[in-house]
Amino acid sequence: MSNKHQNWGWMLAVDFFFAGMGGGMLAIAAVVELFGGGTRMSLLGNLLGPASMCIGCAFLILELGKPFRAWRVFMNPKAILTVGAWMMSIAIASGFIYAVMAIPLDLIFWREWAVLGKCLAVVNLITGLVVATYPGVLLGRLKGRPFWGGPGIMALFMLSSLVTGCALHYLSALLMPVLGTLLAPVLTPSSALNFLSRVLVPVSDAAIWRALPGGISALLLLQLLLWSGYLWVKQSGATAVEAASAQRWISGDLSLVFKGFMVLGTIAPLVLLLLAIPAAQALGGFLVLLGGVTMRLLTVRSGEDRTYLPGEQKYRLRLPTGNEEFLNKNWL
Amino acid sequence: MTRYAMVMDTRRCIGCQSCTVACKIHNELPIDIVYNPVTTIGPTGTFPDLTLSFLPLICMHCENPPCVDTCPTTASVQREDGIVYVEDSKCVGCLSCIMACPYGARQHNHETGTVSKCDFCKDRLEQGKLPHCVATCHQKARIFGDLHDPDSEVSKLVKNNRTVQLLGELNTNPSVFYIY
Repeated sequence: MSNKHQNWGWMLAVDFFFAGMGGGMLAIAAVVELFGGGTRMSLLGNLLGPASMCIGCAFLILELGKPFRAWRVFMNPKAILTVGAWMMSIAIASGFIYAVMAIPLDLIFWREWAVLGKCLAVVNLITGLVVATYPGVLLGRLKGRPFWGGPGIMALFMLSSLVTGCALHYLSALLMPVLGTLLAPVLTPSSALNFLSRVLVPVSDAAIWRALPGGISALLLLQLLLWSGYLWVKQSGATAVEAASAQRWISGDLSLVFKGFMVLGTIAPLVLLLLAIPAAQALGGFLVLLGGVTMRLLTVRSGEDRTYLPGEQKYRLRLPTGNEEFLNKNWL
Repeated sequence: MTRYAMVMDTRRCIGCQSCTVACKIHNELPIDIVYNPVTTIGPTGTFPDLTLSFLPLICMHCENPPCVDTCPTTASVQREDGIVYVEDSKCVGCLSCIMACPYGARQHNHETGTVSKCDFCKDRLEQGKLPHCVATCHQKARIFGDLHDPDSEVSKLVKNNRTVQLLGELNTNPSVFYIY
C-alpha cells in the first residue's frame, strides 16, 4: 500500500529502449537488404533486432498492473499503444523469419527465396520504423505532460532508435568473429551446432561496414543538436510548467544524468567511433546503448511534471500515502 | 439525447470536504485515492483585503475524452449520456489514461492493480438518485442534471451565468462547469 503509482516507471523506459532499438535494427537491415546491392547485416545483428523487441515486450508486460490481462492491449485500434503492440508483434515475427534466412540449415526451407527476403525487408522497414517512433508519438500526444507534448519528442525517439540500432548492428558485426573463436572447440564437424562455424565469421568488407561508424557519428551529432534545441524550445516554451520541466534537465535534479547522457552517451561515442581502432569503436557502440537507455529513463521520469489545476498540487502533497505511523499502530 | 453535466458554484463552496468524504465512503476508496478533491486557492492579497476560495475538482467527463482514445484495452468507456467510466474487468493497469488525462482525475488503485475514477455515481443514477457528492453538499454548490434539457437546472445555470470549463483550450469540452 506504500507506493503511489501515478506515473510510468523505469520498466516502461527500458521497454521503449529495447523496442525502439529493435525497430531501428529491423529498419536498417531492411534498407541494406533493399538497397545494399546484395549485402546483408550480420546474422547476430539481424537476430538481436526482434530479440530485443521481445525483451521490450517482457518489460512492458511487467510494468502493467494486471500482467495476465496483457493480451487486452490489442483491443483498441484507435489507441497508439494498440498500434504499437500490433506492429511490434508483426515486426518480431517478420524479423525472425528474415534473420534465420542466413542460417545454412535445411530446416530453414525458405532461405533461398530471394523474393521473400525482399518482401520481408519491406514489412520490416515499415513495422521497424513504426516501432522505433511510436513511443515518441505516444508521449507527444499527451496534453497534460508539458515536457512531452508536441512532435519534437517523436523525432528524438526515432533518432535515438536508429542510433542505438546502428550501434548494436555494428557491435554484433564486431562480436561475430570473436564468438566464432570462443566457440571453436565446441563447433566440431560432428556437432549439431556446426553450422554456426559458417556464420560466426567476420562480416564482408562491404562499403556499408566501413561507412557505419561514420554514419553513427553523424546521427549522434544530430542527436546532440536536436536535444539542445528541444530543451531550448521547452525552456522558452509557451507555459511556465513547460519551462520548469525543461529547467529540471538543465540545472535541476535531472541535470547531472542528462549531462552524463550528453557527454558519455553522445559526444564521447561520436569521437570514439571515428577512430579506426576496433576496441575504441566497440566502446563507442556500448556507450551509445548506455546513452539510449539513460535518455529514455530521463524522459519517462519527466512525466512526473504535469499541468496541475489551481491548488491541486498542494492538495495532493497533503494526501496520506498509507505509510503513516498511526495507520499501522495497533490501537487495541 | 441526455448529456449529464455538473455545475460547481464556487461562490457557494465553503471547502468543508463533505463531498470528498461522501465519495470516498460511497466508492469505498483506499486511503490515498480521492476522486473529488476540493482545493484551496489562497489566501491571496494583503490584510485586510484577503481572498480565499475553494475549487471542487472531479472527473470532467469530457465530450472528447483523451483517456478513452488512449486506452488500448477498451476498458475506458464513454456512454451515450456522456459518462466516462472504467470497466475494471478489462483494465490492465497500463496507466495510459492517467498520463493522458490533463485533469488528474484518474487514480491507480494499488489494491486492484487497475485504474479507477469518478463515474458520476452511475449506480445511483440508475436508481433515480443524484451522485453522492451532489446529494451531500449542504451548500448546494454542486448541481447535477441533463445539459441538453433546457428546463434542467444545470442547463439554466450554464445559460444564465458566466461559467468556465477548466483547460478549455485543450478542446476536451468538459461536462463540468464552474460559476465564479
